[in-house]
Amino acid sequence: MASLTLDKVRKAFGPVEVLKEINLSIDDGEFLVLVGPSGCGKSTLLNLIAGLETSTDGEIRIGDRVINDVHPKDRNIAMVFQSYALYPNMTVRKNITFGLEIRGVSNAERDKAVADVAKLLQIEPLLDRKPAQLSGGQRQRVAMGRALVRDPDIFLFDEPLSNLDAKLRVDMRTEIKKLHQRLGSTIVYVTHDQIEAMTLASRIAVMKGGILQQFDTPQNIYERPNNMFVAGFIGSPSMNFMDATLRDENGTLSVHIDREGSPISLPLFEAPESYRAYAGKKVVFGIRPEALTHKRSSSDSADSQYVNFDSKVEVIEPTGADTMTVIEIAGKEIVARVRPDRAPTPGESMTFSADMSQISLFDPDSELRI
Amino acid sequence: MADIQTYSQDAGWKNVVLRGLLYLVLILFAIYYLFPLIVMISTSLKSLDEIREGSLISLPRVITFDAWNYAWNEACVGVECTGIKIYFWNSVKMAVPAVLISTFLGAINGYALTKFRFKGANIVFALLLFGCFIPFQVVLLPMSQVLGKLGLASSTPGLVMVHVVYGLCFTTLFFRNYYVSIPDELVKAATIDGAGFFTIFWRIILPISTPIIVVSVIWQFTQIWNDFLFGASFASGANAPMTVALNNIVNTTTGVKQYNVDMAAALLTGLPTLLVYVLAGKYFVRGLTAGSVKG
Repeated sequence: MASLTLDKVRKAFGPVEVLKEINLSIDDGEFLVLVGPSGCGKSTLLNLIAGLETSTDGEIRIGDRVINDVHPKDRNIAMVFQSYALYPNMTVRKNITFGLEIRGVSNAERDKAVADVAKLLQIEPLLDRKPAQLSGGQRQRVAMGRALVRDPDIFLFDEPLSNLDAKLRVDMRTEIKKLHQRLGSTIVYVTHDQIEAMTLASRIAVMKGGILQQFDTPQNIYERPNNMFVAGFIGSPSMNFMDATLRDENGTLSVHIDREGSPISLPLFEAPESYRAYAGKKVVFGIRPEALTHKRSSSDSADSQYVNFDSKVEVIEPTGADTMTVIEIAGKEIVARVRPDRAPTPGESMTFSADMSQISLFDPDSELRI
Repeated sequence: MADIQTYSQDAGWKNVVLRGLLYLVLILFAIYYLFPLIVMISTSLKSLDEIREGSLISLPRVITFDAWNYAWNEACVGVECTGIKIYFWNSVKMAVPAVLISTFLGAINGYALTKFRFKGANIVFALLLFGCFIPFQVVLLPMSQVLGKLGLASSTPGLVMVHVVYGLCFTTLFFRNYYVSIPDELVKAATIDGAGFFTIFWRIILPISTPIIVVSVIWQFTQIWNDFLFGASFASGANAPMTVALNNIVNTTTGVKQYNVDMAAALLTGLPTLLVYVLAGKYFVRGLTAGSVKG
């Protein structure tokens, strides 16, 4: 087990730059999730760490060792692939021990190692089967077993759950998390699923277009997204964005949304200093659905600052726990999260509360957080 | 209701008639293709007298294997009257190594071209593919020069080399197309496990290549066994393969033409490829379509 550092890592395929100056650093035992839409370079980054591709520039370190020019087999890493990549001609036992065999580990040690891993993953009855005789979930376990048996410095997971059905995916997610807590190993995990990222990670690296957008703990990324992309990518349903103007009204800043007939003015009681520079300017107002609810007052919760406004309800989408209520403000569809017993009927008008302590403001040009 | 019934009855009749026609055509074609084979077999089992008296298509009255025996042990190839058997073994000595070597090299090529992609891999593959379209005749002269310089002229090893070189394009094409459908992650996983180029090839890639190996072996065996031009050009006399010997048997008979011996010799020449198809034919079709469907 070891820490991992990426220092100004770049990767280009010919003239196409797929990774632009990635700087990342995680400590021993951390669970790093690389998340982003397809084509964002997250898998390439994982391949660079694995050594399956070589970086164009920059330095990759495991612990204190620079591994740029170290062969994958000597990096002391193990990888779990999306397609599992089990050797179809070998039994599960052979699959798990293949790496050990190549490394010249003795028979007795191999038997012990495979027994330990099989017990940990509960795949003992499967050891003499071929991969074709296993279900998706079982193959997934075997693929993890193959990684675990080597006891590497770093585990690399390349979208390991995306080939499983929804129910199994949730189960395996929990299991991976348990495994991490139990073994305390350093893990780098690639996914395009933001829920997987949020639930598993100790730190998340959000990527887009080869650029690292934000690298932080899940909670910080959720609450204080660096830019509009991160804000929209993390969280489901995603954050609502509205074009607005920041106004200074007698010393109190307020978010002013131009709406036909009745403009909405949402005062910010505890505005950070950085907002001042944008007074009188256009901003993008971002608010998550759960911060936009049925009418509440600030006395409901001490830290919250509720501001009320009225709007007509377009569509409702009940999810059971909450009812997603779609309203239209200034030509944009906005989703509010309402308690089912307070759910409106489509077409009627209702008073909503915005929790102004949980909002984000972005610069409309740079799309960066203010 | 009544209308529908008469309609379906009509359709039923139509179906029967069409089906009958279809089978008639198929049977006619089958006869057309089988007829030469039947004539050959029946002629080879007749005595020379019977051939002279009877008609071409009549079945043998007395079945005799004399002609087969004669073709195998005594027939004159040119001036040597040793039968076709030594040439049969020539062909075996040529075909077996040539098939094995070209298949093995094709497998390595296909593996390197798909799983260890190097700069210019596509160009190399395109050039190899180009080799499939070069007619035999074009390479005769340069090839004989090369063989002469290597000291392999008029020898079985020389013929093996020619067939390996020529077959490489086809076997590479087969294996490359098969390996393209094998996920790269398999090789990546093995790389991380610590296996090198050849370990991955022997331990992982080759064991899952059975269908395409069968295709390559059948294809190469048929090509090499049936080849006449290279055999006639590069291996004369006692080293000639069976196809060349067959030609010599048929063409050098003086006096009475021994049709039954010619037919028996021709059947003996064709038997090995036929046997390979019968034994492995279903794998051939399976292997050719492998990769086109998810499996």
